Amino acid sequence: MAETQPIETVVPPTSAPDDVLRVEHISKRFGPVTALRDVNLHLRKGEVLGLLGDNGSGKSTLIKTISGFQKQDSGEMFLHGEPYRPRGVDDARSQGIDTVFQDLALIDELSVYHNMFLCREHVHHPIPLLANRRMKQETRAALDEIGINIPRIDVAVARLSGGQRQAIAVARTVNSEADILLLDEPLAAMGAKEGSMILDLVARLKAEGRVSIIMILHNYVHVLQACDRVSMIQDGVITLDKPTNETSVEELTEIVVNEYRRAREQERSERQVPG
Amino acid sequence: MSSVTGGPPASESQAGGEGPEPRARSLDTHGPLARVLSLREGSIIVVAIVTAVYFSLETNNFLTGANFKTLLPYFAPLGILAAGEVFVMILGEIDLSIGAMYLFSPILFYKLSTAGISLVPSVVIALLCCMAVGAVNGFFTAVVGISSFVATLGMLFTFEGLSLIVSHGAPVNTPGAQVHQTTVKVEHVVNGHHIFLTETVNHVGTFAKIFGAGTYSEFIWALVIVFLLQTTLTFTRWGLHTVAIGSNKLGAAEAGVSVRLITIRNFVLCSLTAGLVGILEAVRAGSVQPDPSGANEILFFAIASAVIGGTLLAGGSGTVIGALIGALFLGILQDGLILQGVNANYKLFYLGLAIIVAMTVNVYVQRARRGYHSG
Repeated sequence: MAETQPIETVVPPTSAPDDVLRVEHISKRFGPVTALRDVNLHLRKGEVLGLLGDNGSGKSTLIKTISGFQKQDSGEMFLHGEPYRPRGVDDARSQGIDTVFQDLALIDELSVYHNMFLCREHVHHPIPLLANRRMKQETRAALDEIGINIPRIDVAVARLSGGQRQAIAVARTVNSEADILLLDEPLAAMGAKEGSMILDLVARLKAEGRVSIIMILHNYVHVLQACDRVSMIQDGVITLDKPTNETSVEELTEIVVNEYRRAREQERSERQVPG
Repeated sequence: MSSVTGGPPASESQAGGEGPEPRARSLDTHGPLARVLSLREGSIIVVAIVTAVYFSLETNNFLTGANFKTLLPYFAPLGILAAGEVFVMILGEIDLSIGAMYLFSPILFYKLSTAGISLVPSVVIALLCCMAVGAVNGFFTAVVGISSFVATLGMLFTFEGLSLIVSHGAPVNTPGAQVHQTTVKVEHVVNGHHIFLTETVNHVGTFAKIFGAGTYSEFIWALVIVFLLQTTLTFTRWGLHTVAIGSNKLGAAEAGVSVRLITIRNFVLCSLTAGLVGILEAVRAGSVQPDPSGANEILFFAIASAVIGGTLLAGGSGTVIGALIGALFLGILQDGLILQGVNANYKLFYLGLAIIVAMTVNVYVQRARRGYHSG
């Protein structure tokens, strides 16, 4: 079975009647580098989709494309069945897609609550001064709900630990009005305790069924534990799309190892050809 | 970029978040000095006060109302220029073209006014032209991607050159700033007798009084502008996003901050304040001087005011009030040296040394401040 999983196994566009998001034939190049070749992906309402892939496989590029941070070269995206062409992160957010980027997009100089509301700030009327007290209260409430211990929310986030920063970035996205959340490695830099807190949060959101989530993870155990379905991205294409209860850590590992062997062999044969 | 923070970077040891709490409590127990020092512009306040005390002990005339009036034109224009520059510098950019805007706007104002347009509309049009130049600066920086240092240096030379071309290098009288002399009879009482003596009184029109020629005109402009811009910086989305871009440009963009729009807007603001100062100074002096080297000196002093006032050249941090106090410090130095009777040839020499000494002190005060700030 493992040998029948070469890189050419490209998952074609599939869809389900309750899809909230569909991504079809997306490609993206950065100069000579092809980050995404032909990506097909769909996300059903209320599900948690785990996105797996090695470094440089195109995971983050895909997330950045869906989040509106960058535009694809070709291909189409559909949100609730309608063509989806975000003009930017803000536009995507107003259409209900919010993202935790890998680098967290936190501003060191700003306080916890200003980071929580960055670009969604509450302001007074009619003079548009920042409604700091309201933002503090809502930040406190949001962090308490998630159960993250951050004693002071008026200090600059530069003073917080890596895990706390990550938690704030996740809380910011979960706290938004979005119904589709994109989480790019939400567990990186987190301790075991903080990590399980985030996974608990994802489980709670899944139980509520209001939001749909695409989550990039590296730990296969976490994927099987937290996700309904798993997609594997390799070399810019989706090569696997399975419900998590039909796959296993062993199968996922095998796919990655085989791809690694195949790539090495290809590299070796390419090196021999000119010689 | 992450090093651009008030205190040392967070370490794992304060992962529990217990770090900041006791620090803040200790801050409150240290009294007013600690409270001043905990401000970002705290150290320059201390240095400015020390400098002022020094000159008031060394000279007899420093702490007088008359001297305060002579001090005003030294620092009020710089404070306004630096206020606009702070908005650009917090972004991590720099605007060198303020020297050219300072030079160009009064010349444009003169040309418009002599072409038959009345005074206030001429000012408005001249300032709109400055804002357009700022928009071009922002465009080259944020959209084309030229380093702001180079883009605005190019604009500095271009518009200083244009100023010379348009003015033919000749100074002219500032429109609306003419001094009228009237003779009035003033009643005096001499030995119980009422007598009237004629005296000539100089006065300028309302326009000139508002736009720089009034004794406190520039000072009031400076206070109002600094208040408005500091409020904008601290309490509006614009200010928040400005800090966000300067602190983490990519992160700000990912969070949805429109980096290009804010960058262009801040360059427009900076050119506007520079153009306004140019007109205020021309009205105060009564003449428009096409003098690029003088304008370049003003440019240096304005950027120095911002940096001395605690704005980081690397971006991400800065205050408008700090820049005003930085300008005040430079004003006190220049004025104090004159009062001490320093030979004109030595003035620049001493000014340079004094800045270095004061800034060395500033660094040590800042370290004390950090001590209060972060334990």
